[in-house]
Amino acid sequence: MKVTMFAQAPYRYLPDDFETDHESVCSVPYSLTTREGVYSSMRDFMDELMLGARSGFDAVAVTEHGQSSYDMVPNPDLVAGALAYMTEAEGLDVGIYPMGRSLGKSREPLRVAEEYAMIDVMSGGRLVPGLVVGLSYDASINNGVPPMEVRRRFDENLELVLRAWREQTPFAFNGRFSQYPMVNMWPRPLQQNLPVWITGIGNPATMQMCLLRGFGFNYLSWFGAKLTGQRIFDRFWEIADQVGVPRNPYRLGFLQTIAISETDERAEQEYGAHLEYAFRKGLGSIPMEKLALPGNIDIRGVQAILKDPGDFGLYSQMKTATYRDLVEAGVVIAGSPATVRDQLVDFCRSYGIGNLHAMLGFGSLPRHLVMKNIQLFSEEVLPHLRDLWTDTEHQHHWWPERLGGSPADVHVPTSDEMAGAR
Amino acid sequence: MSTQATEPTITEEIISVWNGKITMRVKVAGAGTPLLYLHPAAGLAWDPFLSHLAERYTVYAPEFPGTSVGDPHAIHNIDDLGDVVLAYEELVRKLGLTKPVVVGQSFGGMLAAELASTFPDLPSALVLLDPIGLWLEDHPPANWIITPPDKLPALLFHDPSSAAAQAMLAMPEDPDQQIAAIAGMVWAFGCTGKFAFPIPDRGLRKRLHRISVRTLVVWGRDDRLVNVAYADAFANAVAGSKVAIIDDCGHIPQVEKYADTVTAVDEFLG
Repeated sequence: MKVTMFAQAPYRYLPDDFETDHESVCSVPYSLTTREGVYSSMRDFMDELMLGARSGFDAVAVTEHGQSSYDMVPNPDLVAGALAYMTEAEGLDVGIYPMGRSLGKSREPLRVAEEYAMIDVMSGGRLVPGLVVGLSYDASINNGVPPMEVRRRFDENLELVLRAWREQTPFAFNGRFSQYPMVNMWPRPLQQNLPVWITGIGNPATMQMCLLRGFGFNYLSWFGAKLTGQRIFDRFWEIADQVGVPRNPYRLGFLQTIAISETDERAEQEYGAHLEYAFRKGLGSIPMEKLALPGNIDIRGVQAILKDPGDFGLYSQMKTATYRDLVEAGVVIAGSPATVRDQLVDFCRSYGIGNLHAMLGFGSLPRHLVMKNIQLFSEEVLPHLRDLWTDTEHQHHWWPERLGGSPADVHVPTSDEMAGAR
Repeated sequence: MSTQATEPTITEEIISVWNGKITMRVKVAGAGTPLLYLHPAAGLAWDPFLSHLAERYTVYAPEFPGTSVGDPHAIHNIDDLGDVVLAYEELVRKLGLTKPVVVGQSFGGMLAAELASTFPDLPSALVLLDPIGLWLEDHPPANWIITPPDKLPALLFHDPSSAAAQAMLAMPEDPDQQIAAIAGMVWAFGCTGKFAFPIPDRGLRKRLHRISVRTLVVWGRDDRLVNVAYADAFANAVAGSKVAIIDDCGHIPQVEKYADTVTAVDEFLG
């Protein structure tokens, strides 16, 4: 089992009544912030990641959310670059995992390839590159890409990025969204085969693409993993069976918000209000129509969602969700170290999850509690997860070689193979 | 003058365009001079206005690529607004229409103006009903694509509670049909939005001067989606064009103020 520490940089000082006065975290007036609040939110976020890097996690993971208060990171590679150098300088064998560089919104895909290559070099071959289609509102409202073009831009950009990493001689690229007379990246990644990860919300087409092409697939527990896990993970492994790919748990990643204290009761006392902040003022505050703008999801997908919105779990109640609601739905796993590790082991074992991304800072949680959460997790939970799956024959092909993985070449599918995925 | 046209017999023509990559479905009704009707962003709905036009014209109402039931992915075969304009010109030729009157509503109005700008000799007359396609800094058009569904009626109608508005907004009662209708509308917004998002201005302003036919610009005075100020913006850009402002009316005059709109259009077309 590989266990990463995932963190976002939320602005931690939004007013108590934020969610009643504002429709969305995507349009928070910056006038609500203070300079000190922004600085400390960002500085603490970086310090938390470094504590994670020093605490035995297999990787530190970050992502991007343009123009939003719940994750003030417009480009995870800025953060990853700092972490790459610092961890290399300290001799820490920890993966640098930018989980969600959005290719659906990127108008400079070659820049993404270049940034990742540089991080891999700076870290001495410890990059775990994550790529996502991108959230609908972010790609379209924040970044002006017509919703119908987001997925197609992702598809084209992905081809270019993979090729730019791989080719050893200059080439021209004549795409629909970008054209380059010469692609000749310097530097190239140190790793011969970068272990590519895609994060999704359960779209079967995305899962099928990951399985066919040899990418890892990440799923996030935001909507309540106890409500959605069975649907999403079963779907993933059923598609794996259909396309004839082995059920190797290492190809599946799962991101979970976790809150640990000495006892279950104390966890609620310490973390409850901050978790409510995280979801009421964060993800739960994004209106559904901005998560799925017209044209962003294929018409068959729209019909499926309207018929059965089960993939979205607790989402519709998130704006008023209580700590108990969040825990019951599995949006959060919280309690004593024993409570948390029992649930995590059980969950990962049940669904064949070989990579856990532990989100240990969230919402308005102050620095000292994030640090406590990280410390308790690394000391009391992490050791119990590490050996999960070591009794199986499975190899981890989605992890850097320097960190014990054996990444394989990504598969370029035939048009027949891809036909069903589009 | 009657306020309600009789329902004509509507037939369908299937025309292959764009080197066989797009099969366009065209609803056809009426008799006489050809009239090309270009529908708004939500897709084609045959309404009393079209039935009225079909009393005097042969109305050809194509469905925008991707909005035809059963063929949603046709939209992926067409990339840019320039391609759309060429595909529609090809459609007009293949339908054998000589100098049709071209009428367009909202997104269809932009398309009609683009078609007439690119091919000045194609139409015999042009009627634009609250078209999109321009951008005034002081009156930015509302972004209907990112508007929550429950707020759309107030954007589209001066009086969303009116019978005309309610009839247009009515949903099928059968749950499956309702899902199909909602998904169809969402997808139609996506298909047309490909050429109008994020800002419904793809440079039409610099092409409008090429329009050389009689043009009528119709606008609802209370249009909350595209401000009535755009009526003058279009009229100033198209030499010799006429403007008809419809009172107590939102973005869809032919539905919300059917009689007034029909009067203005009939008067113009003569």
